[in-house]
Amino acid sequence: MSAEANAGKTGSRWKLSLDTWAVLLALVAALLIRAGVFKHVPW
Amino acid sequence: MADVIVVPQAQPVQPALRFLRVIPGVLLLAAIGYAGKLLEQNVGAYAKAHHWTFPNIEYVLWAIVLGLAISNTIGVPEIFRSGVATYEFWLKAGIVLLGSRFLLGDILKLGIVSLLLVAIEIAGSLAFMTFLGRLFKLKPKLTTLLAVGSAVCGVSAIIATKGAIEADDEDSSFSIAAILALGALALFSFPVIGHYLHLSDKAYGLWAGLGVDNTAEATAAGALYSDAAGKLAVLVKSTRNAMIGFVVLAYAIYWASQGQAKTVGNKAAFLWQKFPKFVLGFLLISVLATYHFFNKDQVGALANLSRWAFLLTFAGVGLRTNFSDMRKQGFRPFAVGAIGEVVIAGFTLGLVYGAGKLFGW
Repeated sequence: MSAEANAGKTGSRWKLSLDTWAVLLALVAALLIRAGVFKHVPW
Repeated sequence: MADVIVVPQAQPVQPALRFLRVIPGVLLLAAIGYAGKLLEQNVGAYAKAHHWTFPNIEYVLWAIVLGLAISNTIGVPEIFRSGVATYEFWLKAGIVLLGSRFLLGDILKLGIVSLLLVAIEIAGSLAFMTFLGRLFKLKPKLTTLLAVGSAVCGVSAIIATKGAIEADDEDSSFSIAAILALGALALFSFPVIGHYLHLSDKAYGLWAGLGVDNTAEATAAGALYSDAAGKLAVLVKSTRNAMIGFVVLAYAIYWASQGQAKTVGNKAAFLWQKFPKFVLGFLLISVLATYHFFNKDQVGALANLSRWAFLLTFAGVGLRTNFSDMRKQGFRPFAVGAIGEVVIAGFTLGLVYGAGKLFGW
C-alpha cells in the first residue's frame, strides 16, 4: 500500500463525526459558562 | 501515441474554506430564527394593542413558516445551502445543552418508561411497515429503509442503514423524501390533535417523541405544544435514536445472510460507530447538572443557549422542506409511508394512553 493511501487511512481514522463535533462544541460552551467567561445568555 | 485523457481530480476542500462556506447559511438560519422570535413578541403585542383576537404564535412556528415560505417561493440560493445543512449540527448541540434541565433521577424514571414504550413502538412499526411494503410490492431494500426511517429516527437512520445494507441511492432518496414530507405533516398535525384531545404536556411529549420520525421535527412538534412537552419529546426521541445501532445491525446481518450486503465483522465497533454520540453528551451534561457542577444561573444560561441552537434548527427545518421536490419522488413510497405514519401515530397514541393509565399520569 502506498504511503499516500496509508496517510489517507490514518487521516480518516481521526475524522470526527458531526455528532461528536456538536457534543464538543456544547461541552466547550458549558465549560465557558461554568468558568464564568459567559455569565449570562439572554433569551 | 494514444491521446492522454486528463481526468480532473476532485480537490480536497480545506477546513478553513469549508468553514467560510457555511457562514452565509448559518447567518440565514440565525436571521430567520431571530425574525421568528421578533414576530412572536411584536405580532402578539400589536394585536393586543389593537384589541384583535389573534392566537399566540410561538417563535418555533414563525421560524418554520418563514423558512418554508423562502424554500417554496424563491428557493434557497446555492451560497446558503452548505450553511443551511448545518441545522442538524445545531440540533444536536442544543440537545446536549438541554441535558442541563434534566436531573439524572428524572431521566432514569422517564427513561425506563420511554425505553419500554420505544421498544414496543420500534417492534410494532418495523413489523407493520414491512407488511405494508410487501402489500404495495415495494423493493425489499426500499421497504427496509422506510421501515427503519419510520420506526427509529428518520433521515439519520435511513442514511446509516443505506450504507450497512448496500441499498440503491434511488431507494434512499425515495425514503428520505417520504420521511421528510411526512415529518412536515406531523409537525403541524400533532399539536392540533394533541390540543383537540386535551393531552397533558407529559402525554403529548411522549407521543411526539414516539410518533414523529425525524429528531428536528419531533423537537419542533414538542416545542410547538409547550416547553415541558418539548423537553419530554427530546428525551423520548433521544431514547429512540439510541436504538439505531441495534436496528441497523440486525438489518445488516439479515441482508448479509441473503448475500446482498457485506458481513459485519466487529459488531461492538459497528454499534459504537452507529451510536448517536449526542445522547452521551446529553447524559454527561445532565450528570454534571445533577451533582451541582453548574449553579442556578449557569443552568439558566445553558438552557438559553440550547434555545438559541434550536432556533437555528427550526429555521433549517422550514428551509430544507420543499414541497415540489417531494412531489417528484413518486406516489407509492409516499403512500406506504403515509399509511404507516397514520397507523404508527394511532398506535403510539394508544401506547401513551395505556402508559398513562398504568402509571397514573
